Amino acid sequence: MKKGGEELRIGVFVCHCGFNIGGVVDVPAVVEYARTLPGVVYAKDHLYMCSPGGLALIKESIKKYNLNRVVVASCTPATHEPLFREACEEAGLNKYLFEMVNIREQCSWVHMHQPKEATEKAKDLVRMAVAKASYLEPQMEPELEIKPSALVIGGGIAGMTASMSLARQGFTVHLVEKESELGGMLRYLYKLYPTGRDAAELLRETVAAVKANPRIRLHMSALVREVKGFFGNFDVTLQRRGSDETEQIKVGTIIVATGAEAFKPTGMYGYGEYENVITQLELEQLLRKGALKKPEKVVMIQCVGAREKTGPRTYCSRTCCMAALNNALLLKEMYPNVEVTILFRDIQTYGEYEDFYLKARENFVQFIRYDQDNPPVVTESNGKLTVKVYDLYSNAEIELKSDLVVLSTPLVQHEAGRQLAPILKVPLGSDEFFFEAHPKLRPVDFSSEGIYVCGTAHGPKDVTESIAQAYAAATRAAIPMAVRTVKAEAVKASVDPEICVGCGACAVSCIFSAIELLPFGQPHIVEANCKGCGVCSAECPMGAMQLLHFKDQQIVAAVEALLKPKKLKGVSEKFEPIIVCFACKWCSYAAADLAGVSRIQYPPNIRIIRVPCSGRVDVLHVLKAFLNGADGVIITGCLIGDCHYIDGNLKAKSRVEVMKDSLQALGINPERLEIGFASSSEGQKFAMMMTNFVERIRKLGPNPYRLEKKREEEAKVV
Amino acid sequence: MYKIVTKRELVPHINLFEFEAKEVAEKAKPGQFVILRIDETGERIPLTIAGADVGKGTITVVCHEVGKTTKKLGALRAGDSILDLAGPLGKPAKIENFGTVLCVGGGVMIAPLYYQAKALHEAGNKIIGVIGARTANQLIYEEEMRQVCDELYVATDDGTKGYKGLDFLKDLLKERKIDRAIVLGSIITMKLVSEFTRPHGIPTIVNLVPIMVDGMGMCGACRVTVGGKTMFACVNGPDFDGHQVDFEELMARLKMYTAQEKLAFVFYEKGERSS
Repeated sequence: MKKGGEELRIGVFVCHCGFNIGGVVDVPAVVEYARTLPGVVYAKDHLYMCSPGGLALIKESIKKYNLNRVVVASCTPATHEPLFREACEEAGLNKYLFEMVNIREQCSWVHMHQPKEATEKAKDLVRMAVAKASYLEPQMEPELEIKPSALVIGGGIAGMTASMSLARQGFTVHLVEKESELGGMLRYLYKLYPTGRDAAELLRETVAAVKANPRIRLHMSALVREVKGFFGNFDVTLQRRGSDETEQIKVGTIIVATGAEAFKPTGMYGYGEYENVITQLELEQLLRKGALKKPEKVVMIQCVGAREKTGPRTYCSRTCCMAALNNALLLKEMYPNVEVTILFRDIQTYGEYEDFYLKARENFVQFIRYDQDNPPVVTESNGKLTVKVYDLYSNAEIELKSDLVVLSTPLVQHEAGRQLAPILKVPLGSDEFFFEAHPKLRPVDFSSEGIYVCGTAHGPKDVTESIAQAYAAATRAAIPMAVRTVKAEAVKASVDPEICVGCGACAVSCIFSAIELLPFGQPHIVEANCKGCGVCSAECPMGAMQLLHFKDQQIVAAVEALLKPKKLKGVSEKFEPIIVCFACKWCSYAAADLAGVSRIQYPPNIRIIRVPCSGRVDVLHVLKAFLNGADGVIITGCLIGDCHYIDGNLKAKSRVEVMKDSLQALGINPERLEIGFASSSEGQKFAMMMTNFVERIRKLGPNPYRLEKKREEEAKVV
Repeated sequence: MYKIVTKRELVPHINLFEFEAKEVAEKAKPGQFVILRIDETGERIPLTIAGADVGKGTITVVCHEVGKTTKKLGALRAGDSILDLAGPLGKPAKIENFGTVLCVGGGVMIAPLYYQAKALHEAGNKIIGVIGARTANQLIYEEEMRQVCDELYVATDDGTKGYKGLDFLKDLLKERKIDRAIVLGSIITMKLVSEFTRPHGIPTIVNLVPIMVDGMGMCGACRVTVGGKTMFACVNGPDFDGHQVDFEELMARLKMYTAQEKLAFVFYEKGERSS
């Protein structure tokens, strides 16, 4: 069998995984079956394919039988793909000519009591992988050189800490601060909890250390105007504020530490109207300057402009409860007779901070719980403030006289941060703070490689947390700078200019700005920015844009290999649904793996095709599945908001909605198509989704295109 | 029914059509467009007029096969008819003696650019033409343009013909005194040229053809933001000040239905089972 002039010589290696696979799946039968598949010249099993003996078998067979494609049927590629790929490379076979089938997590562990069905499924999966392997192409992984210098944007505590850490590790740091002095928010704080340390003292020490470090170059009163280039080699244009003067610098990595600002509650609770209504931050500034006139009755109102029901500030600002408690205790210490009342919705003093709450109670700070829908009202007469509040605990309205009302307002993104995001081409979340690549896997990285985030630019944090995160970001940035080179993924977009019509859909769909349109509409792929999600391929109306290693041809080959032999002879034949699941390789595939590891059993009707992102799944793939007789198609992705490519799963979702509208026209019930989302910890949910979907399809009966007669009619039309 | 008098493939996937449409031909002016529909269940597509022959009672359009409808249209032959053709729609381009006019055209839009350039040439303007395509074998109307331009520059994205890209235009703009620029092409072409002319203060007119439905200002599908104001390309345009157009928004709006368009195309390719 030949593909593209080259004779296919595929080797299939099936693993027993001790009893893990072999105890359920009839491995010798799978091997025997693999030998009958087109292009397969060699097939063999091994007790543990990942053992030195198993790997040696693969390597020797590649040489002995001159194999040009390798398929391993064993466990999950999430853990073992690198190992087998390496074995292929060692035997001189390009690692992109390797394909893996997961017959443990997807067969033996989830169909433990159905050995016959599990074996059938394993055969199907091997057949699909062999079909895809026939179309695999070798790829090169380009090496990127990483400049050992970093740009740190923002000279607050996070930016200064990250800069110091990098400088101490020997890297050159360009620290850019938009103001004329360092310190950021730290310049306005008074005593830092939990230690009670003077903010001014920490500031003085840190600024002195930063200024004394010869590896840190300060760019004061400067803004980042433009960032070009890519990971390892960013060209940055800095501009001095209030002038046209610019400076070019070259850096390998970028850390965003631009901080946040306190929300100004103008028009709320008399702020901006009554002199003695101030914010918590303004109170700290007065304390710091020693300018606070001794108050007698202080009322603090929490959650002012925070935890709102709609809009950008639905979040808890995290620092305000502690700031209020800390300042209340400080006031009590300074003026033992002062009355302090805190009006709160919920007191959130996580971890050891609970001590502050207890201490405040011991020191007779009063707490009144108010209702978000019936908030306190502040009025003034003759310079005296009155706060009326409905106390949820006593179910009564309380009137408090006060000479100082302090509003705890959330940290919010500032204008400079909003302007920086598009310059760096990194996203802001719905709360307008900088949005990390993944909350658990890459918590201080952006999805664009080489750019990191720390401090309150990323969301409200106190000084302790900002410092910890700054060290984390510095470490992340230091890794590639220390190694000096990184290998870029070869799974990237690639355009066929002969098919392309220059419509620009690919460029619009790419959230990473990896596709630039040339003057007459030809897409140009900025490889360093391409993450390999494949969204552009799915959006391309012509099929001109393809994701390498996940081309339409390769995916469709797997789909057709599954379905073509599966036709039903007649309506009377016993119906077992055949369902194609396109699973993104991140969370949803991991959820399927977890279902396996947890031995959660679900019906053996699902055949998973692994794709980089649910956003890669093309209407063509789904249509091919249905026209070839799939009884159901389910696409799975990461939870909404957790997509590893920011919004690929949302794109998949909207595509599914569009497809549902159109399937009816083909005589296919739209209920046969579904999309589901699962996190990597939701094995149970994944299994439930599959079980429910199989049940749904069972009720719907066979896809009309699966009946042989119907298929023949269709074949005539096409 | 509107008969196709001539159909010619200019380059692969770009076809020229002459439709018999006497009333349209009599009124058509450069810059205007028509909306046509192949059959009763067909999509309505706007096409910028590339020529009109009052004597023959025909109008010319040039169309790129980029989806189901344009592919279907491309499959028709001379002698075939389409169901309807509405037009001329939109305001005509301003044709007067401006002095020196830079006419930039990209891809399939070089054809309607020629229609305007010819009129501007006849009105006594000096015409500097710039035409381009993604690649050499996609370039159309070079000969026609040469006849009406005092100077003609050719460019391609891949450098297979003429200049590579449009950067040469920056120098050209520095050297010449240009009184007006008109740009017909893809959004990126119009955006780029508008950026180039902006620092020179050259009035720059772009011709916008967003998604349209009725073409008469009723549906609002063709909304564009120009100078911060919402305009309808069909009745307020299609010509607009290129320095005022929000091209990013226009691009995003054009791609709102890519999934539907792709699905229709894939279905069509599968044998026209759904429309």
